[in-house]
Amino acid sequence: MSKKKKRALMAIGILLLLLITIAVCYFLFTREDTTDLQYDDNATAGILPGVDVDERRKELQNILDRSMIAFSINTSPVFLNGTSEGNLLIENPGNNAKLLRVSIVVDKTEEEIYASKYLKPGTYIENVKLDKVLEKGTYDATAYFSAYEEESGEYIGRTGAHITLTVQN
Amino acid sequence: MKKKNIFLQLALTAALLASTFSTTAHAAEATTTRDIPVGGSGQVEMVGTIEPTILSVTMPSFVPFNISNSLSTQNKVISPRINVKNNSNVPVQVDVASTKVDISKLKNTTWSNTGAVNDNQIAIGLKQEDTPNTMPTDLANTRWLKDNQTEEMNVMVLNSNQEGAMYVVGTLGQKVSESATFNVTPTFVVSQTSGN
Repeated sequence: MSKKKKRALMAIGILLLLLITIAVCYFLFTREDTTDLQYDDNATAGILPGVDVDERRKELQNILDRSMIAFSINTSPVFLNGTSEGNLLIENPGNNAKLLRVSIVVDKTEEEIYASKYLKPGTYIENVKLDKVLEKGTYDATAYFSAYEEESGEYIGRTGAHITLTVQN
Repeated sequence: MKKKNIFLQLALTAALLASTFSTTAHAAEATTTRDIPVGGSGQVEMVGTIEPTILSVTMPSFVPFNISNSLSTQNKVISPRINVKNNSNVPVQVDVASTKVDISKLKNTTWSNTGAVNDNQIAIGLKQEDTPNTMPTDLANTRWLKDNQTEEMNVMVLNSNQEGAMYVVGTLGQKVSESATFNVTPTFVVSQTSGN
């Protein structure tokens, strides 16, 4: 075979390879362009609520655990008279990581007789003066502890404790 | 006679010395402890301080739950474990003091106070944990929450430093809408158990 013929065959081979490459690329790219995926903006990432019970329960457990509050209070505070201080002994323990507010309501009259300001975690109030002057006697009351997020001050929920107040004179 | 005088002087000196030693020893004793002889009398001051009873509890202030007819069990509620811990040295009881129910978003639906529901009713209650960390599948022994109840309903009694758990349980009729939310807000109140 002459040199000329060899060169011509090589040129044809290279040309063929180029054409095949271009054809494959064209096929691949044009196919991708025509099938562009349209994702739904309305879709939420995650598991459909109610489908996986255990997963949903874990989510609910996390919410509940964040709302857990610890508190302490004297069950029977004593006040010397209607205007004096009494040993209420309310505490927002350090492990709470929430703000607490305490409101005391007399069960019989549903009258609020004391409302604290916010108590930071790891603080307590030993003695308080009631906001309303009570006559001498014994009063069944409920101390409501309202919990708030420490950072935002957002209300979480409340719980309560029964106490008996005594005003001695 | 002279001998007798010397003897008397010696006896007197000895008696004086003995008396002095005895007084010193007694004084030394008084600074340490003193025995009250049997049948004798003595004054001991006893000071008593009444320690107030402190109620110390850890409990949730908010209880989220889901309810769905798609659950195959009798209990249709997915509930977290409601853990209550008594950190006090006295036994306590946990009551639901009041319950606020708002089902206004559920059209044509009414509340059931007993747990028995028709097609358009819904009922929610609380049940103590039977098996640790397992949601109840049935509704036996459920304490049903009553619509806008004001009477206290006991849901748990805990000894000193004891922990307990309960779950929200419930059921709903086939025609109750599952596309809306509703609010049930029980207020838990703890108190020292009566008789303690």
